[in-house]
Amino acid sequence: MALGKFLRSLLLVAVLLAPVSRLSALPERRRPVIALIMKSLANEFFLTMEEGAKEHQARNAARYELITRGIKDEGDVEQQIRIVEQMIAIRVDAIVLAPADSEALVPICRAAAGAHILVVNIDNRLDASALAEKGLRVPYSGPNNVEGAREVGDYLAARLEPGDKVAIVEGVPTAQNSKDRTRGFSEAMETAGMRIVDVVSGYWEMESANAAAITIMSEFPDIKAILCGNDNMALGVVAAINAAGRSGRILVTGFDDISAATKLLKQDKLLVTADQHGDRIAVAGIETALAILGGSPPADRETSIDLVTK
Amino acid sequence: MTSARRYFTDYLGMMLSLALLILIFSLGNKRFFSINTLLAISNQVPVLAVMVVGMTFVLVIGGIDLSVGSVMALCGSVLGTALTGWHWPLAPALVLALVSGLAFGAINGALAVFARVPSFIVTLGTMEIARGFAYLVTDSRTKYIGNAIEALGPALSMGISLGGVSTVVSVVLGQIGLSRTVFGRYAVGIGTSEETMRISGIDTRSTKIAVFAISGFLAAWASILYCARLEAADPNAGAGLELQVIAAAVIGGASPLGGHGSVVKSFLGVLILAVLNYGLAQIGASEPTKRIIIGAAIIASVALDLYRNRPAGHPRIDF
Repeated sequence: MALGKFLRSLLLVAVLLAPVSRLSALPERRRPVIALIMKSLANEFFLTMEEGAKEHQARNAARYELITRGIKDEGDVEQQIRIVEQMIAIRVDAIVLAPADSEALVPICRAAAGAHILVVNIDNRLDASALAEKGLRVPYSGPNNVEGAREVGDYLAARLEPGDKVAIVEGVPTAQNSKDRTRGFSEAMETAGMRIVDVVSGYWEMESANAAAITIMSEFPDIKAILCGNDNMALGVVAAINAAGRSGRILVTGFDDISAATKLLKQDKLLVTADQHGDRIAVAGIETALAILGGSPPADRETSIDLVTK
Repeated sequence: MTSARRYFTDYLGMMLSLALLILIFSLGNKRFFSINTLLAISNQVPVLAVMVVGMTFVLVIGGIDLSVGSVMALCGSVLGTALTGWHWPLAPALVLALVSGLAFGAINGALAVFARVPSFIVTLGTMEIARGFAYLVTDSRTKYIGNAIEALGPALSMGISLGGVSTVVSVVLGQIGLSRTVFGRYAVGIGTSEETMRISGIDTRSTKIAVFAISGFLAAWASILYCARLEAADPNAGAGLELQVIAAAVIGGASPLGGHGSVVKSFLGVLILAVLNYGLAQIGASEPTKRIIIGAAIIASVALDLYRNRPAGHPRIDF
């Protein structure tokens, strides 16, 4: 009985360690190992990111080895910290991280740096003051969300008259990329002389955004456009506009260019969205890591955001 | 107190709470008492209302179904993929979605009955499994359905919507099923004392499986309402929805220990939660404040219910 239990736990340990031993059993590890740690792989954006990274690795198999990991849902900060810990434990050469939280991941990045593992920040920028407090300097590769959102706003403004009422449905209010996009949208709208009558949170979700749009339309019947922080929320807003029978009379903009948005663009239900190229963000992070491992000084890289229309 | 009278005071109490909430919010914000609020709330109620009917039955037999939110996401994903990926016509796609929900529910019930795993654990497991399948079916991508589901659109005619009809039909049929049929009596019997039922020679297993199957089926039905409203299927839909459904049923007096519950009162629970949610948002309460108040309301309503029913009465079903 006790022996059975012992054997079972031995088996468990063996199973758990199998991937690790496979790594360490490589004949003289010449190629650096890079771990790409993302947010939820149930989110299309990170799926694209993972695919982009894997493609890049396949083309550059001689240069590095890739491990990709994602967490269960966007908010699971603790799980992401555990994954970073695992990567430190198996001694990868570099960690390319899309942090689920801009501050909570800083201490574990410090631990990685302490273990002489290079950390490159992608997608969602780590908080500058938290990094400064820990005396860390982490290179960042990713898009400029303020700039991207401003472009979306400018594109919309060209189709409106100054003084028109617009509303913004933003993502989780505490997330840096959500704040950046709202800032970009607002700046573009104000510059063009539009009136922003409401900024509400749709928490990145379709259903919350749908409810928010219904409220906005009832409170401001003469609303001319709704700017959304991501495409998922734009889907919910478009459905609300359809249900109210006001399709075509209220313009909607999105962000991210998910596959569902393509159809909406074709049907003129969505005016414009922005592609941040998740695949390029991951590749930029990996290239940054490889360059630094190869001896280059650390530097930030800005990746492009392109407007997508019909 | 006779059970008829107690039923009346319970029912009246909930109606009064609802009226009181509406009054408070109307005083707090002039815009609350309006047709727009009614529209906004009636937009969100059907999904919860349809699911709470199934949950009431599950609670009555002394079980719990944590998988309904995920099953809803899975069935919506199946529907969306069938329509957009495989280009199926609407009718068979709807049938496939409903059958998926029914099957998932039946599996929940069968595992609880034959493997004797408590339904809390079974559905905790299937909650994850259904979510996983939802991601698999959709390849983790939101499916935009658009015109393919427009036939079920927001309003059928004369302001009668699919959601409204579904709500009324499921609540009425559910209540009749619970209080006026042999099946309902068996369900209450199982929740009160399954042993007694067995000793009396009644096969409780089929009733239990059927109850979980109904819950799964109604989650699938809710997914159709969800997809029709948003014209899209989202594999992330309904995360945490099971807790809202359970909260509504519990506010409506359904006991997590089994033995009693009322479909109509669970539905009133849904309305109370919806009014609270929307009203708090309108008077400008922040998300954290909303959560704190709603959480307190759930506990308070159950505490009140227990207090009023202090003398250990017999199991009852109210209408």
